[in-house]
Amino acid sequence: MIKIGVSFLLGLLALTSIAQRATRPAVRGPVTFEEVPTQASKINWTHNNAQSPDRQLPETVGAGCAFFDYDNDGWMDIYLVNSGPSDFYTPAVPLKNGLFRNNRDGTFTDVTDKAGVAGGRFGMGVGAADYDGDGNVDLYVTNYGPNILYRNNGNGTFTDVTDKAGVTAPGWSTCATWFDYDNDNKLDLFVSSFVFYDKSQNPLCTDATLQQRYYCVPRLFKPTPSYLYRNLGNGTFQDVSRESGIADHPGKSFGAVATDINNDGLLDLFVANDTMPNFLFLNKGKGKFEEIGLAAGVAYGESGRPRSGMGVDAADYDGDGWQDLFVANIDHEFFSLYHNERESIFTDQPGEIAPSTQLLSGWGLKFFDYDNDGDPDLFLVNGHPDDMIESRIPRVRHREPLLMFENTGRGFKDVSSQSGAVFAKMFSGRGMALGDFDNDGDSDVLASNNGEPPLLLRNQGGNRNNWIGLQLVATKSNPEAVGAVITWQTGAVKRSRLKIGGGSYLASHDPREILGVGTATKIDSIEIRWPSGKIDKLTNAPLNRYVKVVEGEGLASK
Amino acid sequence: MFILKTLTIALLTVAICFQCAAQDQEFAKSLEHVATLIRDNRVVEAERQLASISRSAPNSPDVLNLMGTIRAKQNRLNEAEALFLQVLRIEERFTPARMNLSYLYMVKREPDKALFQLKEILRFDPSNAEAAQKLPEMMLAAGKFDECIGFIENLRKAGAVSPDLLVMLGDAYVAKGALPEAEPAYLLALEDRLDNAAALLGLAQISRLKGEMRETSIYLARVATLSADSNSPEFLYKFALLALRVGMVDQAKAALERSLKLRPDEPPFLLALGVAWLSRGDLFEAEKLFRRLIEIEPGNSLGQLHLGYVLLNQKKYRDARLWLEKSARSPNAIPEVFYYLGLVAQEQNDDAGAIPLFEKAVQKLPNYAHARIALGASYMKLRNYTRAREELETAVKLDPNEPKAHYNLALLYARLNDSARAQEEMKIVDSLKAKGGSADGVIVVPPVSPRP
Repeated sequence: MIKIGVSFLLGLLALTSIAQRATRPAVRGPVTFEEVPTQASKINWTHNNAQSPDRQLPETVGAGCAFFDYDNDGWMDIYLVNSGPSDFYTPAVPLKNGLFRNNRDGTFTDVTDKAGVAGGRFGMGVGAADYDGDGNVDLYVTNYGPNILYRNNGNGTFTDVTDKAGVTAPGWSTCATWFDYDNDNKLDLFVSSFVFYDKSQNPLCTDATLQQRYYCVPRLFKPTPSYLYRNLGNGTFQDVSRESGIADHPGKSFGAVATDINNDGLLDLFVANDTMPNFLFLNKGKGKFEEIGLAAGVAYGESGRPRSGMGVDAADYDGDGWQDLFVANIDHEFFSLYHNERESIFTDQPGEIAPSTQLLSGWGLKFFDYDNDGDPDLFLVNGHPDDMIESRIPRVRHREPLLMFENTGRGFKDVSSQSGAVFAKMFSGRGMALGDFDNDGDSDVLASNNGEPPLLLRNQGGNRNNWIGLQLVATKSNPEAVGAVITWQTGAVKRSRLKIGGGSYLASHDPREILGVGTATKIDSIEIRWPSGKIDKLTNAPLNRYVKVVEGEGLASK
Repeated sequence: MFILKTLTIALLTVAICFQCAAQDQEFAKSLEHVATLIRDNRVVEAERQLASISRSAPNSPDVLNLMGTIRAKQNRLNEAEALFLQVLRIEERFTPARMNLSYLYMVKREPDKALFQLKEILRFDPSNAEAAQKLPEMMLAAGKFDECIGFIENLRKAGAVSPDLLVMLGDAYVAKGALPEAEPAYLLALEDRLDNAAALLGLAQISRLKGEMRETSIYLARVATLSADSNSPEFLYKFALLALRVGMVDQAKAALERSLKLRPDEPPFLLALGVAWLSRGDLFEAEKLFRRLIEIEPGNSLGQLHLGYVLLNQKKYRDARLWLEKSARSPNAIPEVFYYLGLVAQEQNDDAGAIPLFEKAVQKLPNYAHARIALGASYMKLRNYTRAREELETAVKLDPNEPKAHYNLALLYARLNDSARAQEEMKIVDSLKAKGGSADGVIVVPPVSPRP
């Protein structure tokens, strides 16, 4: 623990100096995202989607990405997932996942081999968390095929402990979500499973016009149950999929988010399914979940038809104290913004998001406060899974634009066109991770694209509003403090945020919480209600810098 | 039924030559020239020429008739009417003016007056084949099916009638729902000419009404081949409407595109083509056509309804509401407009505002299942589960094959913690979808023409 503290302190010093250096422009304009080119970031890496004439479905689903601080230096590093060998694919050259160390100057260094996290399987997504509470963030990589749990050794290397931990999750896994479902202060793991698939299960999908195969819709494949692993606290996990009720519901699951929809202090799970009803697993306590998607109104589209759910997230976007949900679907299905009406009932109120997403297919997405005005905005990464879609459906494109929606207090406004030149470009977007890689106090974005290089976007101007960044260091609660509720007040304005688990698609995010306070020059109070039940209250917290908050101790001294 | 808003002057030209035979050669030539200009849509030039001719004979029936035609072309319908009537005061038996008047009255949606003029022509000249043809046609267009049938049956008793009249007879019987009488009329028309597309179209219509979809498609496919080069926009339109109803969307689209080439910007054609694009799921093409229609006819309530509908489907609620409210102001507003307005409110989470609109739709059309479903959904959102259940169960009775009704019932039962019934309803939803039920669209496509 001491070692961790020291390394974090070093990081803090660095952060502080960055914050102090930051100039604050007098002229305000829209917040934009600036593409950081490969030449600048030195992230020379491209996703290989393994596309073949056989159009094997896993080719089009990946892959994911993560912001996480693997070396505890206070700077977000990047992990990118790649394809690899499988029953239908033998790469001509070995393919590797990529770990890129943040050099603290806007550049990154490829440390994959040294760290030993190359993967080597047909990769899908990633979930980063300190599952064993040793202060080092570990990595769980999902695959088409067995998954991998990389334990962080704390010295820049990782060890594959999958078998020992018992979290292989055979089949085709997509999203990994770390959260503490039983409130025993240990991080448990939910792994979304997609369809039952092997190369012999690939039917011929084509039409007379194309005379060529295209990717089959998931409707043609059988669903499989997802996994829930209970962390036993000794480096191993127990598969509780069956007894928890999760395995009673085979799905074709993609995005998952752990949140508390009924404010009962137990984290629930919202899981997007493709061509099947979405699942809302209500945590009933005592290790049991009840699937209530139908009654909650989040399972189907308006006509009772299941949609193609992909990315998901949760946030209390309207500040009413109740977690709302978001799910992105495929073109012509519209994306859904589910407003929490309490009593575990939701209504779909997408507002301006709907017309903007009518022709798009959404994957990675995240609610976050891009302009530090205090409320959650929404970023979306899109791309159609079928590379031949343009020959089949008018106006729908394979590569699609990013979208940025600003929370106006009365709904979401599409501000993409004023959010930077990158929003005019097209991508085969899939994963999307959130993190402040330059530690300047506003959230940047990392998007992973299918068959393309990743996209690193620097937030320009989000930090013109004041902010404070919190790193929550649990001493009793689960190490990522998933489930903590942060409440902060500036003048008459009081805001609250639940630290959720997961969200987006195949991705993992910067665990720090940036609290935006707009133009307020003072933050009156911050309260952290930890999952353990402990409450820490902070007064006179400094603005425009990151601080560490230790459970039961409050603001850490420098 | 739509009345095509285009005055034809083809008849007029023939009539001018006939009427002018007795007049001096030069004058007749000048009149013919004016008629040609009108036909070529060079109305300003025609009017100038006619003004110079009319100095020598200002009260000539031919001159006044041509002037009436010019005014009609300029959409100055009341002036045109006055001119035609003036002709008839001068010369009661001036057939071209009566013929034009009858067209004019159809455009003005005064079918009784139109029919009167045609009957007058036949009173003065019972052998006038053109009027004999036009009269039942207009009776049919005006919805006077019994009169139409009586007229043609009388002609039949008097001797053989043309295949065209037989088709009209069949159409009138179909309109009355008298299919057994209609079928022989079409078959008789086919005896004369096996490739009579209009008769085949009639038989297709009968098959559709009998629920014989395979036969309908076969007939329509034959009609599509025969009418590929048709120069009758009306016929192509009629074919397209039927083709649309049986899901032959590509054929319908082709026919409507040809109709619009033959008669650009004809509002009913634009509307029907927009509906064809809607059936293809292309809201954007449909929107373009409905916008064009509104540009031409700003007050077209069906155009407003359809534009509102496509905008609603794109979730552009503000614009959708604007157009739907315009359509709702029409005295002939159909129930759908209130249903869609209700959906606009409902989708914006204003269920209290949506309910009176759905209720209005139901009031106008009590067996409107979709409006009942929407009512049920709104009551459910307001947690009035008793009313929700009433409406949804009524909707299921009205349309047991509508998955959306069963889905909403499932949702309701789930909220009432009756998971067994909820699952039962979802099983019905799944089975209906497996059968290709109508749940694909969130909202049903509005009718292409108002309900009779």
